[in-house]
Formats: sequence, structure tokens, C-alpha cells
Amino acid sequence: MEILAQLIVSGIALGMIYALIAFGYQLTFATSSTLNFGQGEALMLGALVGLTLVGHMNYWLMIPVVMVFGALQGVFVERVGVLPTLKTKSEFGWIMTTISLAIIFKNVAENIWGHDDLTFPSPLPTAPLQFFGIRVLPMEILVVVGALAIMLAVEIFNRKSIYGKAVVATSNDRDAAGLMGINTGMVITFSYALSSMTAAFAGVLVAPLTLTGATMGAVLGLKAFAVAIIGGLNSGMGVIVGGLILGIAETTTGYYISTGYKDVPGLLLLLLVLAIKPAGMFGKSVIKKV
Amino acid sequence: MLQIQNLHAAYGKVEVLHGISVAVPKGKVVTLIGSNGAGKTTTMRAVSGMIKPVSGNISLNGKNITGMTSSRIARAGLAHSPEGRRVFATLSVTDNLLLGAFPRLTFGRERGDVQGDLARVFELFPRLRERADQLAGTLSGGEQQMLAMGRALMLNPDVLLLDEPSMGLAPLLVKEVFRIIRELKERGITMLLVEQFAAAALNVADYGYVLENGRISVHGPAEQLKNDPAVKAAYLGAAH
Repeated sequence: MEILAQLIVSGIALGMIYALIAFGYQLTFATSSTLNFGQGEALMLGALVGLTLVGHMNYWLMIPVVMVFGALQGVFVERVGVLPTLKTKSEFGWIMTTISLAIIFKNVAENIWGHDDLTFPSPLPTAPLQFFGIRVLPMEILVVVGALAIMLAVEIFNRKSIYGKAVVATSNDRDAAGLMGINTGMVITFSYALSSMTAAFAGVLVAPLTLTGATMGAVLGLKAFAVAIIGGLNSGMGVIVGGLILGIAETTTGYYISTGYKDVPGLLLLLLVLAIKPAGMFGKSVIKKV
Repeated sequence: MLQIQNLHAAYGKVEVLHGISVAVPKGKVVTLIGSNGAGKTTTMRAVSGMIKPVSGNISLNGKNITGMTSSRIARAGLAHSPEGRRVFATLSVTDNLLLGAFPRLTFGRERGDVQGDLARVFELFPRLRERADQLAGTLSGGEQQMLAMGRALMLNPDVLLLDEPSMGLAPLLVKEVFRIIRELKERGITMLLVEQFAAAALNVADYGYVLENGRISVHGPAEQLKNDPAVKAAYLGAAH
């Protein structure tokens, strides 16, 4: 029983990282119906830039700098990769361009930081804390708190500020938002900035717990994509629940069956969701009134 | 106030408007009538920047707005209550109305008294006040129409475009919509009104244009159009 509890706790930290990246997928999907398939690479760049910065400054000061870097990287992806395909009304062009940019980012990172995995110094004590016999790393707590905090911040921005409402309006109906005087092109660019910013933030949160390197993003990005589909591309609650399910499924399968099979339950769940409720577990199918 | 000159517009390669000219003077209500597919909505969309005109010239307050994006045209003072209402379904009624004032709240346009205007819109549409915190997607069709009109008014516009405000509404609600249009007219709001209920539209309007297959066939003071035999036969028949 204690082991199971331990596995669940470890799964939660992992799941929140998936949730945070999946949240990034949702941000751009809401405004432009496009996804940045380089989300994992945005995370990787954030982690590596953070690693370089951490040699010169304090971890906590580094976080906002990395977030600004992430936002700029997102703007770059949108302007170079996505905007041209939206302008030509290319239905699927953005898939190719965001994947291409992701590959380029990975290669650039390999050239700058090398092929080997690096260790990211932990800003918090690495000795686990004990709660009723369950061991929790302080860094794991930071991951959960940090991920929830940023999602909450975005939610409050969307609900309370007029600019946030403009973002929601753009996701509702882009043409009508334009009629309100909202520069919807700018809103889409902003959503890419925000999306890559959360990924970069996830990168510096997860880096001290895992190894940091140019290839760290691919798997995380893919799994988070599965989480976004499982939870629903338009449900904030969905990605958190989806992330936690996937994270816990991985740690428990890894322990009870074999680490070789740890990715199986998540993918099975993905297939199940697509077969039974394609909008996602918490996804809302849009009903239009005529 | 609003001048449309020789406007051509197309969807892809199909030209829908073949050079139309419409003038909406300050404080007047001008209506555009015509059958389905004549190009009424296309005219509205081209004026507010939802589609880019092929050629022609559109000016608002003497300022050329041809080919501008819809967001810039809105900031220049043109509000468009679009066909099909297009309210923001997942936002509350109040949020929808505030978004109508987006340029005023974000330094894109003179701010004025936004809260006061919100109160005035609620006065004009008491139903919206009752539903202020409800999501717009849960409103009935008539309430959504009120919301779309109220939202457009929140811009404090120089010119208001109303596209088919009566579409899909029950007869009693249609009456209510026209009562409100009349009230807006008394407040001196400049309007371009597109309607299928030609008789009702000509009753409230000062001037009318009849659109046929993308061309203006007849235009004149509303009183005169109402008595024009050809207009009478085609648009003011017994069917409505």
C-alpha cells in the first residue's frame, strides 16, 4: 500500500509537467485552431537556456528570464512558421512548419549544448521529505505548485482582464472579435508566446528532476499531446486530470509490470478516448445556435 | 458620414458586388433591401472589413477605410452587428457588452463613459440586465439579437451597421427589434440597415437602396420607394 502511495505521489509530479505542456497546446488551439508541435522543443530550449543562465545567476532570478526567452521563441515560431500558413489558408501547413522548426531547434541545441545529457543543479535540497513513510522531493512539490500557479494565473487573466476576455472572444469567433476592434492576429501571436512561455517554464521546473539535453523535449511533447487529446483540447480541467492519469499510470506500470511497458497504458487510454469520446474526457462539443 | 463608392467585392473568383455606391449621411437611417443573394450581407462585410473589397472606395468621416482590417475599422468608429448575431457564447452577457467597448477600454478610441453606456444599453434592453451574468450561448435567439445590437452600441459608434436584426425571430420580437431601431434613430444614431422585411425597414428609414444581383437598381427617399410600383411588386408584396 505504501509503495502504491509512493508511486502515485511520484506520478503526480510527472503528470503535472505533462499537464503544463498540454495546457500550452490548448492555448494556441483555442485562438487559431493550430498547435505548436515544437512544444517539447520549447521546453527543451527553456531548460538548456536556464542551465546556462544558472551558472551566472540565482535559479529564482533565472526563471523570469527563461520565461521571456520562451515567449520570444513562441513569437518566432508563430511569425515564421504559423502566420504564413494561416494567411494562405493552408489547412495543414502549420503541422509541417511547426514540426520542421522543432527539428531545427533540436539540431541547434545539439550544436550549442552537445549530444550528452547534462545535470541541472537542483535549487532545493535533494534530500526527500517524509510524509507518513512516503518520500517526496522538494522539487516535486515545486513542480506541482508552479504548474498550478501558472495555469491559475492564465485563467484569472482570461476571466478578469479585458485583454484576457479579448483572447476568449477570439477563440469563440475570430471574425466577430475583429469587429469588436480586437487585433486577432496579435491575439494569436500572443497565444503562441504564452504557450512557449509555459513550456519553457515547465522546462526549468522539470530539468532538476531529469536529465537535461537536446533530446529531452521530444518524448515529453508527444506525451503531453496525448494528454491534451485525452483531456480535451478545450478543457483546462481535462489536461490536469489527463496529465495526472498518464503520470500515475506510468509510474505504477513501470513498477508493477516493467519499465519497458510504462508508456503503454497512456497510449491505450488515448486510443480508448479517441474511439469513445473524441472530444476528450472533459472536452465540450461545440453547439452552434442558428 | 459613410460613403461607399463603386464597390466591387468577390468570394474567391466569383464577383458578388458589381460596383455599388451608397451614402449614409450623419444622423440618418439608410436601408439596403433586396432578395436573398442580392449582396446585402456582402456589402456589410466589405464595409466593416470582414472581407477585402476588390475595388472601390469606402470612407468613414472622410477617412479612407477601404481594405483596412476589421479591427482598425472598428477603432475608426464603425460598429457592425453581423448577420447571425455572432455573440461570444462562452462569455457572460456583461462581458460581451464590455468587449463591444474594447477599443474604448484599451486606448484605441476615446473612452467616454463606458459604465454609463453599459447602464443605457441595459435600459434599452431590460432582458439583458436580467441575464447580465448568464453565458451568451444560453440566451434565446431574440435575446442574442438584443445582445448583438447592444454590443455594437457599446462602441459608441459613428455609424452602426445592422445586418438582418429580425432574422429568425418570432413576429412579436421582430416588432420589438424595429421599436428599438426607431428609438436609436431618435437618439440620432447613424445607421445602415439591411433587412428582408422591406416594408418595416422602409418605414423606419430615411432613405433606401434596392440591391439586385449585386447592383443598385433603384434608390430614393424611403417614402418614395414605398410607393414605387416596381419596388412594391417585388419587395412589398403580400408575402411578408
